[in-house]
Amino acid sequence: MVLRFPADTVNEPITYTLIKEYDVLINILNADITHGKEGNLLIEMAGNENNVNEALVYLESKEVEISPVVKTILFREDLCIHCGACSSVCFPGALNMESRTGLLQFSPEKCVACELCIKACPLRLFELNFGVN
Amino acid sequence: MKKSYQEINEKIKRGEAVVLTAEEVSEMGRTMSPAEVAGKVDVVTTATFGPMCSSGMFINTGHANPPIRMEKVTLNGVPVFSGIAAVDLYIGATENHPEDPAYGGAHVIEDLISGKDVELVAHAKGTDCYPLKHIHTTINRDNINEMVMFNPRNAYQNYPVAVNTTNRIKYTYMGSLLPRLGNANYSTSGELSPLLNDPELRTIGMGTRIFLGGTTGYVGWYGTQFKTNPELNEHGVPVSNAATLALIGDASMMSNSFIKAAYYEKYGVSVFVGIGIPIPLLDEEMAARVMIRNEQITTRILDYGDPEHPELGRTTYDKLMSGEIELNQKKIKTASLSSIYKAREIAEILKNLVKEGSFLLSEPVEMFPRGKGLKSLEIR
Repeated sequence: MVLRFPADTVNEPITYTLIKEYDVLINILNADITHGKEGNLLIEMAGNENNVNEALVYLESKEVEISPVVKTILFREDLCIHCGACSSVCFPGALNMESRTGLLQFSPEKCVACELCIKACPLRLFELNFGVN
Repeated sequence: MKKSYQEINEKIKRGEAVVLTAEEVSEMGRTMSPAEVAGKVDVVTTATFGPMCSSGMFINTGHANPPIRMEKVTLNGVPVFSGIAAVDLYIGATENHPEDPAYGGAHVIEDLISGKDVELVAHAKGTDCYPLKHIHTTINRDNINEMVMFNPRNAYQNYPVAVNTTNRIKYTYMGSLLPRLGNANYSTSGELSPLLNDPELRTIGMGTRIFLGGTTGYVGWYGTQFKTNPELNEHGVPVSNAATLALIGDASMMSNSFIKAAYYEKYGVSVFVGIGIPIPLLDEEMAARVMIRNEQITTRILDYGDPEHPELGRTTYDKLMSGEIELNQKKIKTASLSSIYKAREIAEILKNLVKEGSFLLSEPVEMFPRGKGLKSLEIR
């Protein structure tokens, strides 16, 4: 999720409070906070359901705007040379070699954004995209 | 029926040569005998487009005024070999940028082939005849004298399949190998692969004219780690990596469609090289060779989870290309690191060049040595 902090809460240790008071697991993926201005924090939050819900109530009480995000994989298909390096690590079957044509087929609807293809592609054509749902 | 190179070239010049790709002739072989194929077909085009680390490029930058005898040289920050004459350099494909492991010599080569400007920084001690001590400028394909690709080892005749039996993912030059036999990667274009269509090297030797990186190139020598005493299967094809080729060509005429820089996670930089080799059907025996099909080409499955790469089993290219092999009662997803799609494209391009009369076949100036084995490096 993306947390958008209003300018007057940027100086509060909100992540600390989430962890310390609500016992939730926070994984910070991206942070963009400038002193005195609005800030954005991209995090994964996990934990006991009650704790997560209370943590969300706490965030709302601090007027932190919460936007759920989805991880998706972006693929620059036009530059693909159709080796199969990504397809062999793609266990959900989103990347497959079409055996007759030898072309790589990407079915984004099957992708679970496990990110294995990002490291497997020798041309670095995959990247992770965090889109707001 | 026997045909000479001269006879085949005369047919090519007259536009009468019958040219097929290695896949097409393999299909034809299902219903025709080698004698019939030899009578009907003159040339078969083979191709591969895979990562080939042992590649690189000589360049001559031209002399500056005042001149410099370049000693420590980087191109776009990538160190290049300058231990030859004043402004002759060799860019090794796998050389890394010291601060960016995903950028290296192959990317510099691709950038130069693409016509991009590349930053040249060179230092020297300065001599009476070469007084300049530092230079910082840009070079590109059009403002340097030569860029000559010379690849010491390309086009491996067969290559093993890589799997991983450990509990951790392995990042290798054979790609990402998932734990507990999670996948199997291979890297040969099977029945389309040049040296699998001429396993005894009867037509491919020193001086053979080929397609290299989008232009005409030549076989310059036998490749390093050249091995001609491997185990053969019942169809006379080596079951493991065997012969190799050293290739040379004018990189200023090459295309970035057929030379592609690559980076393998936690391994390093490599380069995809597009190679096409025409094989003349001199006789029935050559016809039988090029008719080889994927199910007749065996390769070994090696465990890259173990540094000694023990053999776990054997398979054939029809199974590998089906997308799944079976090993230890487990079905394993397969994928090729070389691009079959691009190899087919190269085989088609070369077929059309020969058919239209613009690519003649060359008889090797000298044949390759036979019975050559490999030595290991002894630590003493």
